[in-house]
Amino acid sequence: MTPPELRALLADSVALWGATARVTLDGDAVRVGEMRVTAAAPDDLPIRWWLERPGQKRPCTSVLGLLRSLRNGMGGGEARKLRVV
Amino acid sequence: MIPVVVLTGFLGAGKTTLLKRLLRDPGYADSAVIINEYGEVPLDHDLLASSEETFVSTSTGCLCCVVRSDLAATLMDLHRRRGLGEVPAYRRVLIETSGLADPAPILHALMTEQPVLETHRLEAVATLVDALHGAGALARHPEAQRQVRLADRILLTKPDLADTTALRAQLAALNPAAEPRDVLHGAVPADWLLAPAPRTDEWLDATARHSADLGSVIIQREAPIPAMALTLWLQGLAEHLGERLLRLKGLVCIAEAPEAPAVLHGIGHVMHAPTWLEAWPSTDHRSRIVLIGQGIPPWWPLRLLEAIEGEVLDASASSAEAMTPKR
Repeated sequence: MTPPELRALLADSVALWGATARVTLDGDAVRVGEMRVTAAAPDDLPIRWWLERPGQKRPCTSVLGLLRSLRNGMGGGEARKLRVV
Repeated sequence: MIPVVVLTGFLGAGKTTLLKRLLRDPGYADSAVIINEYGEVPLDHDLLASSEETFVSTSTGCLCCVVRSDLAATLMDLHRRRGLGEVPAYRRVLIETSGLADPAPILHALMTEQPVLETHRLEAVATLVDALHGAGALARHPEAQRQVRLADRILLTKPDLADTTALRAQLAALNPAAEPRDVLHGAVPADWLLAPAPRTDEWLDATARHSADLGSVIIQREAPIPAMALTLWLQGLAEHLGERLLRLKGLVCIAEAPEAPAVLHGIGHVMHAPTWLEAWPSTDHRSRIVLIGQGIPPWWPLRLLEAIEGEVLDASASSAEAMTPKR
């Protein structure tokens, strides 16, 4: 996923969570408010994304994990779980 | 399996009038009726049961998965009495919801309570809309909109009292798959109202024809979707769309089994396990998924699917590479 594609996904996600944060491109990274998301290097697998906050750098192994961490970081409220019947 | 038809509609839409009429019609004989509402109007019918809505707060934050045990208990008690011969052997159940109810939790009860699942099947959701006051209710009350969006059939009541042109357009925008039918004084043909909901491919085609509807998001994909990507995507939708997602239906070409489509059907965050058609219903083998909801960013579902799919395909490629013997 390219940084512009990631920015578009994260901007929509922030809107879905009802959060307010600017989502901007920052070189190869995407800034979401005070947080910064970068793609992990291929050698970092299974880590795919790094989520940086002031004083903290958190690994995420999937885009779903990244969204979950971002949502938690922004106080986006409790997420529902998929239920299959 | 006993078919269940859910009758919903906003306050004053004419649900009780319709039920009273239905219960005198031979076409609706052998029907049990459950009124899921406070202060129900007594109906002169042997099979009338009542079920008061109970809201229970749980630590999961998910009301609809646990709450409707009252409805489930009522259904199962009726079923038990039917088995014992205490009530006539009814062949279907009609559930009338509260006018203020979001029908999704009631549908969830029918989809998730195991004893109910084993004995009943949700046949269709019929929503009544008042020709005179329907537009106002839809404009002011999200519950009224959700009732329309979840409908398999829309019954336009009191059509003789108002010009329904604008209301029909409003209904088509909310739910393009359900064409409203005029209903005068509760007269509805049984074979129409009680018929199973439209097939998924018909529903998808009808909805796709009205893609300008801002409440729907339609995804069409040429490339088959890996099963793992689809599973994770559905999980992502449930997590992040929450109550914005009212209904999801789809015919999906799964990469691991592309010869026939998987049928997806979900209400909110509750999904039926996919079923499989024997073959594609037409020469169009693209995956088609429709999400009906409110406030869903139109490109978000597709962006998420592509992001997840990219990771799944990348992981598969990495695994294959790791399994290849090095020289």
